[in-house]
Amino acid sequence: MATLTISCLKVGGKWRMPVSCVCYAVHILKRFVAVVAMACLSSSRLCARVQDKLLCQFGHKVRKQTVFVKLKPPGPSPLRIFGKTCQRVTTCGPACGSGGFSAGVSSGLVRRLASSLQSTSTGSLPDYGTQIVDPYRLLEDDLNGIYEDIRSELERNTNQSELNTIATYYFDGQGKALRPMVAILMARAVNYHVYGENSALLPSQRQVAMISEMIHSASLIHDDVIDQSDFRRGKPSVNVLWNHKKVAMAGDFILAVASMMIARLRSDDVTLVLSQVVTDLVQGEFMQLGSKETENERFAHYLTKTYRKTASLIANSVKAVALLSGADESTCELAFQYGRNLGLSFQLVDDLLDFVSSAQAMGKPTAADLKLGLATAPVLFACEKYPELNPMIMRRFQEPGDVEKAYELVHKSRGLEQTRFLARKHGAEAARLAAELADSPYQKGLVVTTDLVLNRIK
Amino acid sequence: MSLSRLCRVVRCDLVKVQSSSALVSKLWGPCASREVSTCSTQRASVAQHSSKPDWNRAVSEAEKIVGYPTSFLSLRWVLSDEIANVALHLRKLVGSNHPLLKTAKNLIYNGKNNMQAWGLIVLLVSKAAGHSPEIPDMEQDKAAGVLHSQRALAEVTEMIRTSHLVHKGLVNMNSRQPIAAEPDDMMFGNKIALLSGDYLLANSCSELANLRNQELVELMSSAVRDLAEAEFLGERDEQNNPLPSRPLPKDQIEEASEWDIITDPLPMGGVIGCAGREWAARHVLAAGALLGKSCSAALKLAGHKPQLQTQGYLFGCHLALAWQAFLDLEAFTGPEPASFSLVGAPLAFTLEARPELYEYIEAGKKSVQDVDYHALYKAVLAGDGLEQTKRLQREHIARAVHVLDSFPDCDARTALANIIVAMHHDHL
Repeated sequence: MATLTISCLKVGGKWRMPVSCVCYAVHILKRFVAVVAMACLSSSRLCARVQDKLLCQFGHKVRKQTVFVKLKPPGPSPLRIFGKTCQRVTTCGPACGSGGFSAGVSSGLVRRLASSLQSTSTGSLPDYGTQIVDPYRLLEDDLNGIYEDIRSELERNTNQSELNTIATYYFDGQGKALRPMVAILMARAVNYHVYGENSALLPSQRQVAMISEMIHSASLIHDDVIDQSDFRRGKPSVNVLWNHKKVAMAGDFILAVASMMIARLRSDDVTLVLSQVVTDLVQGEFMQLGSKETENERFAHYLTKTYRKTASLIANSVKAVALLSGADESTCELAFQYGRNLGLSFQLVDDLLDFVSSAQAMGKPTAADLKLGLATAPVLFACEKYPELNPMIMRRFQEPGDVEKAYELVHKSRGLEQTRFLARKHGAEAARLAAELADSPYQKGLVVTTDLVLNRIK
Repeated sequence: MSLSRLCRVVRCDLVKVQSSSALVSKLWGPCASREVSTCSTQRASVAQHSSKPDWNRAVSEAEKIVGYPTSFLSLRWVLSDEIANVALHLRKLVGSNHPLLKTAKNLIYNGKNNMQAWGLIVLLVSKAAGHSPEIPDMEQDKAAGVLHSQRALAEVTEMIRTSHLVHKGLVNMNSRQPIAAEPDDMMFGNKIALLSGDYLLANSCSELANLRNQELVELMSSAVRDLAEAEFLGERDEQNNPLPSRPLPKDQIEEASEWDIITDPLPMGGVIGCAGREWAARHVLAAGALLGKSCSAALKLAGHKPQLQTQGYLFGCHLALAWQAFLDLEAFTGPEPASFSLVGAPLAFTLEARPELYEYIEAGKKSVQDVDYHALYKAVLAGDGLEQTKRLQREHIARAVHVLDSFPDCDARTALANIIVAMHHDHL
C-alpha cells in the first residue's frame, strides 16, 4: 500500500513540487539513513555507491587497472583494489556480504578471477576480433539455421498468412542472437563440465536457445506498440507497418508457440524456470511505468527493473539448459548467476550506448530512453553531481528542453564512466563464475562473451 | 432429472416463451437481479427452478455447487501491485474514450457475457465428471468436489480470456483514419491495455507451470495461439473489426478439411466464403478452442481417459458455439439495435442466400461504422437467417447435451443443463 501512495503522489501532477522539495530538504539526511538502514535496502545500490566512492578516490588509476587487469598476471595490484572494495563494503554492514552482485568478492575468488582472465588471454589480446575463442564461430554449426527453425516453428503453428508475416518479421537473421548464443554456449560448457569431452548439445537445449530468442522477440513486439518506436534493427518496426491490434496478437502468438515448445520439452522444472521469465518481463514493464522518489530507492528500482526486463531472460534460459543437462543444483545456480550478471552488464552497456552511440550504429534512435522518460544508470549517476536532474527525472523529461539538458549534464558528469564501471563489475563477476566450470573451449567462450558484451559498439 | 427430459423441456420452451423475452432481458442487467436469486442454496432448488429457466439464477446456483466462483476478481488479484497500478492508471483514462474502459467495465458488470461463467463451466464439468480415486485427499477441495488444480485451471481460463479481450480492445493508431480522441490518451490507454493483458497472460503461464503437467501446458498454450489466430481470420476493417468474406457459390468452395487434431492450428480448407463453416471456424478459434481445451484439460487433471478428455473438448466447444449463436440472435430479439455483429450467424446465412447484399459489407472496409445496419437488419428479418441460426444453436446444444449424458447424474450436471436451458430460453 505504501508503494501505491508513492506512485499516486508521483502520478498526480500537483504533488510534484512539494515532493521534490521535501526530497531535496532531506537529501543529506537520506544519505545517512542509507548507510544505517542498508540492511533493508537492496545491497546493489550500496555497492554502486561504494564503487562510486572508490572511483572518487582512485580516479583514473582504478579504471585503467580494471581495463587492463586481464593482461596482467595474477598479482597484487588488482587484488588490492578489489580487496579494498570488499573491506569497505563489509564495514558497512552484513547485508552486502550475502546479497548483491559482486560485493562479496573475496580475495581468494579474485585470485581465481585474475587467473581465469589470464587463461583466456592465450590469443592476441586485447583485440577480440582475432581471438581464438570467438563464441559465434565456435558455435557456428549450432547457431546455423536457428532463425530458420524458429520461423518454420511459427509457420507450422498458424494458417493465417498475415499472422505468419508479422510474427516472423524480427526473425530475419539480422539480430545479434546473443541470447541463443549464450544459451548454447552455457549448454555445451555445462555438458562438458558434467560429462567431459565427449558430451554433445542436446536437442532440447537448442530448443531452449530458440525459445529464449522467441520470448525476447515477443517482448520487443509489444514494446514497439507501447513505445511507438519507428526503427528497430535497422528496419521499420512492426508498429509502423501493421495494425496495432494485430501486432499485439502476433506477440501473444509468439509467446504461445514458445510456451508450447517449452511444454514439449516435458520438464516441469524447465517450464517453471521459463515461466518466471515471462512474469519478470511484465513486472519489469510495470516498474518502468513509475520511478521511485528518493535517490536510494531509485537506483535499487532501476537495478531490479533491469534484472527483470533483461537479465532474467538470459539468467533463466541458461539455468534451463543447465537443468536439462542434468547438472547438480550448485552448477545450475552458477549458470543462473552467470546469466544474471551478464544480463545486467549487457543492459548497463545498452543504457550507456544510448548516450554515446550514433543512431546509425544502433539501428534505432539514440537518447531514446530519455525521450521515453526513462532515467537509466548514466542519468542516475549524473544526478549525484547535478541535483537539478532530480526534478527532470520526476517529470520524466517531459518539459521542452529536458531531454537536451539531461543529455548534456550526463556527458558533463562522470555518469557514463560510472555506468561502464558497474557494467565491468558485473562482467567480471560473470567471468569469475564461468571460470569455475571445467576448462573447455565453451567455458572460455563464456568468459570471452562477457568482454564481447562490454566492448560492443551496438 | 434425465437429460432426455431436459431436451423435451427445451423444445417446449422454444414454443412457449416467445412473448416473455422483453421481461427476461431486463433481468440480465447488472448485479441486482443476481443477488435476488441467490437466496436458496439447496441442491434441490436447482432442479426445482429448472422449469422456469433464468440465466442469472442458473449461474448463481451453479456457482454455489462448486464453491464460490473462481478467483479472478478475488482479493489476491485486486491487491496485487500491478493491478492496483492499473486501476490507478485507468483513472487517468476516464474521460478519454479509450475502449479499455469499456472492456474493464464489461469485465466487472456485464451480466450475460460474464467472464466468471467460463471458469464456472470448467469447474462444473470437473465436478460432473468426478475424478479418479487415486488422487490424494490433499489435492481435493472436498467441499466443492473439485481438485485444487482444476480450480487453478478455471482461473487460468478466465485470465487467458480476459487477457485476450483486453488486447483486442487496443486502438489501432496506425490507421489512415484520424483517431477521434487525443492521440496521447489513446497511446497511454494502449500501453496500459497491452501491459494488463500481458500481466494476465504471464500469470496464466506461471499458474499453468505450477500444475506440473506438460501436456496440459501445451494444450492451454495452443488455446492462446488459437485466440491470436482468430484475430487474423478473414476481412477486417482498419480497427481490425471482422467482416464476413464474400459468399462463394457452392462449386467454388474448396474441399473442407477435417478439424480433428486439437493441438494443431485450425485448418482453413473450405472455410472462407462458406457461411456456416466460416462462422464456425471464427468462433471455434475465438471461443470454442479455449473453453473446449479447458474442459478437456480439467478432465485430464482428474485422471480421466483420453477418450473422455476428447468428449470434454467437444462439450466446451459446442457449448461455446451455442452460446455464440445465442449472442448473435440476441441483436434481433429486442428493438432494432444501432449496430450488430457483422460476422454473426443470422447475417452470414442471409448473405449466403442473397450474395448481392455483400455490397453493404464492402462499405465497411474502412470502418464497420460505415455499414448500413438498418438495411442489413431488414434483410435478416426478411430471410430465414434467424431460423437457420436457431437450428444451428439447437444442433450445438444437442451435441453438448449428448456429452453431458455420459456423466453420472449429479448436481453439477444438472447445473450445466440448467445453464444450457437458460441460454436457450432467454432470447426467444
